[in-house]
Amino acid sequence: MRFLPLIWSGIWRKPGRTILMFLQISVAFALFGVLQGVKSGVEHLVAAARADLLIVHTRANFIFSPLPLGLLEPIRSVAGVKLVVPVELSGGTYQKPDQQVGIVAVSPEGDWLSAFTFMVAPEYDAALRNTRTGALVPEELAKKYGWKIGDHIPLMTRTTQVNGSTTWEFDVVGTFDDSDIGGGRDKILINFSYYNEARKAGKNTVNHFNVAVSDPRLAVSVADEIDRRFANSSNETKSESLRELAQLQLQSIGDLNFLIRAIVGAVLVALLFATSTMMMQSIRERTAELAVLKTLGFTDRAVFLLILAEAAAVCVAAAALGLALALLAFPFAARFVLGISMPAVVIEIGLASAVFVALVSAGVPAILAARLRVAEALASR
Amino acid sequence: MNSLRQFIALLAMSLAGVPQRLGSVLTIIIGVACAVGVLVSMLAMGTGARNQEQANVSADGVVLSSVGSRPFSSSVPREEAAVIRDMPGIRRGSDGEPIVAFESLVGMEGRRRVTGTRVFFPLVGISESVLQYRPEMHFTSGRMFQRGLRELIASNTCVRQFSGFGIGERRSLPGGDWTIVGHFDQGVGEQCTVYADVDIVMSTFARNAYSIVSVLLRSPSDYDAFRAAVQANPTLHLEAKHEKEVVQDAFKQLNGLLDFVSYFVGTIMAIGATLGAVNSLYSIVDARRRELATLRAIGFGSGAIVASILCESVLLALPGALLGAGLAWALFNGLSVSPFGYSFQLEVTRSLALTGVVWALAMGLFGGLFPALRAARVPVTTALRAT
Repeated sequence: MRFLPLIWSGIWRKPGRTILMFLQISVAFALFGVLQGVKSGVEHLVAAARADLLIVHTRANFIFSPLPLGLLEPIRSVAGVKLVVPVELSGGTYQKPDQQVGIVAVSPEGDWLSAFTFMVAPEYDAALRNTRTGALVPEELAKKYGWKIGDHIPLMTRTTQVNGSTTWEFDVVGTFDDSDIGGGRDKILINFSYYNEARKAGKNTVNHFNVAVSDPRLAVSVADEIDRRFANSSNETKSESLRELAQLQLQSIGDLNFLIRAIVGAVLVALLFATSTMMMQSIRERTAELAVLKTLGFTDRAVFLLILAEAAAVCVAAAALGLALALLAFPFAARFVLGISMPAVVIEIGLASAVFVALVSAGVPAILAARLRVAEALASR
Repeated sequence: MNSLRQFIALLAMSLAGVPQRLGSVLTIIIGVACAVGVLVSMLAMGTGARNQEQANVSADGVVLSSVGSRPFSSSVPREEAAVIRDMPGIRRGSDGEPIVAFESLVGMEGRRRVTGTRVFFPLVGISESVLQYRPEMHFTSGRMFQRGLRELIASNTCVRQFSGFGIGERRSLPGGDWTIVGHFDQGVGEQCTVYADVDIVMSTFARNAYSIVSVLLRSPSDYDAFRAAVQANPTLHLEAKHEKEVVQDAFKQLNGLLDFVSYFVGTIMAIGATLGAVNSLYSIVDARRRELATLRAIGFGSGAIVASILCESVLLALPGALLGAGLAWALFNGLSVSPFGYSFQLEVTRSLALTGVVWALAMGLFGGLFPALRAARVPVTTALRAT
């Protein structure tokens, strides 16, 4: 503790140099924080996606090809399946062709919400069940288009109704929130029974089934069992958990991992080089002062620790500032990945790296300082 | 003349001292090399992506879609599509018919050869006139799909990248198995493209409207008249755009992302490298205080001193830039990446290397400015008294 003033004065021996080095380290760690934040954030999103929620869709490799509704009972009878909910996806536009709205038709029966990542207040859940033409909308979307509960919203679609119209009208009965990243944010929830009856073609087919599994550990075997049951039938299925789907969706960003590693590597190499040179220079200039300290009774070890502490203090403080900047800049820099946030572990990795940089760059100078011979150092003046 | 000679003498002196100050000098070179290397490789992604996107765009190509929509959400009713054939300015093929390609886009899934991971790309249902619309397209094996049959043709890129695209292989899709009957090359473009007969795609997916309609004009100068004719026709609810524009729109997000990331990361690294250079140059100037003061005392001008230090700084940044650009080229040129589902190769071009060098010059100039001013300003007496 009593060495603190000594460390402090050592740091500010050359204020200009220290401030420049401090800024350089901060900048490097700001970049490190943002890049590592994106990388860890993506991994975090995948890990957070539910593994106990299966999506059963067709094996045929076209997107949006339908499965018959009749698969519901056979799926339900598979051991380990808690709940099956049919889901039909379509889309439309609201007022303008570029204002697209996804339409998710579900059967809101029983404990249906446990097979989804939606959050719905009980009164809105009840309202959807009781209103055939009802729709739940995300709050953001309601704000965007000025929708209020009780509003009729017409959507232009490509799906023809029995009455020949392609414009569907729904009644807003409440709002919902979605914790999942897939599928986009601009979508509404409606009743499958109404949608199924009112459409002209494609009756009794669905896009996929959402399956809740009673035990998350069984998810993989349940998925395999469902697919085995329909193997070699005309409706072969493919069952995947939300986590697998998240992995699939985000792997494209994962392709950038090597790039992020390369950049972070380059940043650290440049930084290590700069800080080592500066520390070396600083020790060379202070040879006489260090010799005086030793004359006063400082041990080699004390001098060694003094130099390391100086470097560590500057590095960690600068890294902390840099990481704070990264936190501020993160929402701006990572706006391309929906739902991402910077995990706390990035800060820990960053501070640990700062200590590493300090130890490596100050290691050799500190050893030189510790080995310094008083007589030689003072004689060389 | 006198100050020029002073400048040359000073610069020679500075450069002769480089071996003694290897640490500081290397700090500048490596810092600049890292910043330039990263900037150039990031920009190489954007260049690669742009070249790939625009590879097959024809200047006479015009795409019609429903007003305000993107190709995937657009819908062009058959009746409206039929009207387009009679519009003015459309080029006629060898058979005397206007070159108009009707397209219906659906999503399709593929698996990467090496990793087995799933990728989604569009299956394009298209009329046979595609052969005239894209004259650069030619079959390397197999044949064109036959009208009314569930047959697919794929570009050679698909065959290289994804499994299950060999001739005669069947893909299980709605309506039964679809057979791959042909492989084609499409000029310089490297995207995976899969075509099938538009009518069979539409009947399989119960569609009664095309997604988009592409036409080839006689010459780019016919565009304005064509566009006006489309707008003036009350039965058409479509808008015409240059194919180039449509492609640019489709890739706007990707390009925006790549540009943002390149310059965001590049700028931050450049700031870091500049700070490092400032620090190194300050310590070089500090180490040479007495020397510089002596020179000033015997009549060297401040201007020559400032110029020589700026020049030294720039000369140190240059090898850094070359090293960085060289590393970017050696490590990343031609590397295939597929972020966000788009595939393209990184292209480290000369103009990118030049951009890197310009940035490095800027880093050198900014980095040298304040140390140079300090060197010229320190009072001679103080500097000479200093130890």
